[in-house]
Amino acid sequence: MKKLLVCIKQVPDMESRFKVNTDGTWYEETDLAWRMNEYDEYAVEQAVQLKEQLGEAELTVLCIGPDRVKETIKKALAMGADRGVHMTDNESHLRDPLAIASMIADFARQQDFELIFTGMQSQDRGSAQVGVLVAELLGIPALTTLVEFAYDQGTITAKRELEGGSRALVSCSTPALVTCQLGLNRPRYPTLPNIMKAKKKELASLPVTDLKLPPAQLKTAAMAPPPKRGSARILEGDTGDVAAQLAAVIKEKM
Amino acid sequence: MEYTREIYWNIGQGAAVLVPMYVLALIALVLFVYGFYRRLPVYRQGQALDRSDQRSTRLNLVLRGILLQTRVLRERAPGIAHALFFWGFALLFIGTVLIFIQADITDPLFDIRFLSGSFYLFYSLALDLAGLTAIGMLLALLYRRVIIRPPGLDSSFQDGLIHALLLIILITGFVIEGARMAVTELGTPLAWWSPVGLVFAKGLAAFDETTLRSLHSSIWWLHLLLALAFIILIPLTKLRHLVTTGVNYFFTDLGPKGLLPAVDLDNEEAEQFGAAQIKDLTWKDIYDADACTSCKRCQDRCPAWATEKPLSPMKIVHQLGEVAFQTPEAQLAATLERDAVWACTTCLACQQSCPASIEHVRKLVDVRRHLVLMEGEFPGDEVMSAMENTEVNGNPLGYAFAAREDWADDLNLSEDPEDPADILYFVGCYAAFDKRNQAVARAFVHLCRAAGVKVSILGKQEKCCGEPMRKMGNEYLYQTLAADNIETIKASSAQQIVTTCPHCFNTLSKDYRQLGLDVPVRHYTDFLAELLHQGRLPLTADAVDCTYHDSCYLGRHNDIYQSPRALLAAAGGRLTEMTRHGDESFCCGAGGGRILAEEHLGSRISDTRVSMAGETGAPLLVSSCPFCLTMFEDGIKSLDKSGSLKAQDLAELLAQRLPTTQQGANP
Repeated sequence: MKKLLVCIKQVPDMESRFKVNTDGTWYEETDLAWRMNEYDEYAVEQAVQLKEQLGEAELTVLCIGPDRVKETIKKALAMGADRGVHMTDNESHLRDPLAIASMIADFARQQDFELIFTGMQSQDRGSAQVGVLVAELLGIPALTTLVEFAYDQGTITAKRELEGGSRALVSCSTPALVTCQLGLNRPRYPTLPNIMKAKKKELASLPVTDLKLPPAQLKTAAMAPPPKRGSARILEGDTGDVAAQLAAVIKEKM
Repeated sequence: MEYTREIYWNIGQGAAVLVPMYVLALIALVLFVYGFYRRLPVYRQGQALDRSDQRSTRLNLVLRGILLQTRVLRERAPGIAHALFFWGFALLFIGTVLIFIQADITDPLFDIRFLSGSFYLFYSLALDLAGLTAIGMLLALLYRRVIIRPPGLDSSFQDGLIHALLLIILITGFVIEGARMAVTELGTPLAWWSPVGLVFAKGLAAFDETTLRSLHSSIWWLHLLLALAFIILIPLTKLRHLVTTGVNYFFTDLGPKGLLPAVDLDNEEAEQFGAAQIKDLTWKDIYDADACTSCKRCQDRCPAWATEKPLSPMKIVHQLGEVAFQTPEAQLAATLERDAVWACTTCLACQQSCPASIEHVRKLVDVRRHLVLMEGEFPGDEVMSAMENTEVNGNPLGYAFAAREDWADDLNLSEDPEDPADILYFVGCYAAFDKRNQAVARAFVHLCRAAGVKVSILGKQEKCCGEPMRKMGNEYLYQTLAADNIETIKASSAQQIVTTCPHCFNTLSKDYRQLGLDVPVRHYTDFLAELLHQGRLPLTADAVDCTYHDSCYLGRHNDIYQSPRALLAAAGGRLTEMTRHGDESFCCGAGGGRILAEEHLGSRISDTRVSMAGETGAPLLVSSCPFCLTMFEDGIKSLDKSGSLKAQDLAELLAQRLPTTQQGANP
């Protein structure tokens, strides 16, 4: 039976109110609503579709973070993953991409995954490095920013999104890692029977202290919201009025 | 002289008549009973549902519905025609039964003949007039069906057969009477007590007695055979409504009005949620199809049908009947068509107007439940996003949950354990997040403060009440939201909840009861009308011409029509009603979770309603629902009517009429 892995991250909803924390290195966790990283939803959907295509396959979902990430693992289980692995780590938000990638690679090395799916990047840190670093550490090929994916007997044929809207057709043989981009698929809405089943699926917790992590390559020096740019102003009134206002604005700025 | 007539005149009461007559009648009765009996297993395909409680209320509904024709009479012209026809035909039936009782029971067995004397005169006159009325009304209904042809009233061979049969039965009855009178009564004072028969008798008077007697006897047998055919046809044709509709009054949903049945989500045995096939609906949903008379009143009032969408509530009921009887394995979503299933706004106009007490809405929501809970399907990606937004942030608009109380930043509405508020204002997502509706929330708080009512809110802890999700079929998300809200409300000191949104109001006051909330809930129009009545609301009337839109979840779902109008009158509103108001109000298009969905099919319901408001000539369209207000603002823009029509919530209009010191005052 083929084994598949999908790596996901829990991120704050991007509509949330972000406040920089007291260290000035990350965001405050109060008043945040949490959800699955958008790109990871495409990864889960593609992994579940592949599992359905293969018939006989086991899909593991892996997530690193504090206890709250279990909710996001459950969503992936409800979407169709078979078992969940939670690497309990309250410090995950402080770790650089190599550390996270090492944790995933250490876990994956003990297993025999045919294919590993990740999102193209996370919505909060946005480094887009974890997926490719995992592939590098495992010594397997990585196909990134996929918008089309097909698998047939150990060969992946996929399209990558490039700059300017063009696409590259690529292919490689498994084992391999793919990172998923918007447009790849439409993530499914979990059905109620699957939500129920997900509650009974295995969700193992692995303590992160057991793993040896490489020294940090990156350190966050400071974090701040972007400076406010000038906002648009809408001129109202009849045409003559608007023209006069516009002239005044131009004069003022000149 | 004792007034009476010979019952089996010219026919005879010997075995040669009685035996074939009673054998045929018995066959007809057996076929009649069997015709219904064989439908029972089809109803039994459905799930269990108890509709046998409160029997006296139910019996009362049956009696009023049948004898007084109360539900039929709600639509005036065809209702009156049907009712008069029914009363006429019923009298003729009673008259025939009386003949049977006297001729074949009381007279031969006890020598009692009650059809005589002044009672006979009255009996004879009443039956003649009943027959005349029945013929007149039948012709009127035939004229409507064939000449007027109201749109949607489709006629089939069956309808023609039924009209013809009834008409011939009634006319042959008078021919029999006329032939008998021509021989036995012409010229006697008795004849005047059968005025219609007298006309027929005079018409036949030219024939000699032998001809009249043979005419009488052959038409008598024809009349008998047709009457028996009628009885046999009842279970086989639309005539079955004679039985099924009356019985359906007994099975009426006794409320709370419009409340959907709860789904037991904790049942681990359950493998099916919602209705995939006919067997997943209840027996009542199948039976409803048999009770339908195809009067198309539901279709006439359906906002989806009126705006060229592929949904007709009548067609849905018919299709479910066809599935139940012919293709019980069929997938309902495919048979009814998904676009039709998603088009319903749950406005309840169909159920309110149905003369047969059919429940259309729950059938459609049950199919939606299947699509959402079992297939993960929605009418569009925007609806799925709204669901996901609600899961994450507790509101379908996708705003941060932490921003829910921003609108009240300067109003100081957080709960104060030292000084509990008089009411808990359940704000709802639109008033909390939507810019336009935030003005309504503020207006409501100002009105309360002007009346000396202390208000608190749940703030960030409040979540969407779940109404649009529930109506869209997402029972799981609804129950999750409801459980969270109920826990939060119970943890607060709330003694009374007031909402500005009729959808929140309906959900908290009815749906949440199923899940254990017992705090009283009111809509602000009712709440403020009471304050007004108590003299606590300091309104200064300022005349304004306006029209008022009854939102479905305030009006039809909760029968609140007077409170908003009382408030409007006190504020100086000069009301011009739209043709469709009160329980005939036309939906804004946002109910049934449609607020979350794009409207791609047909024309826009909100445009239609805004046009209706425009027809009144009033420059102001007042409503008291955030969904309606949102839809009307859209409709006014899309119809380019902003020069001639403004949309306002009643709370805004009232707050403008508070003493100036209290407008926007913060104690």
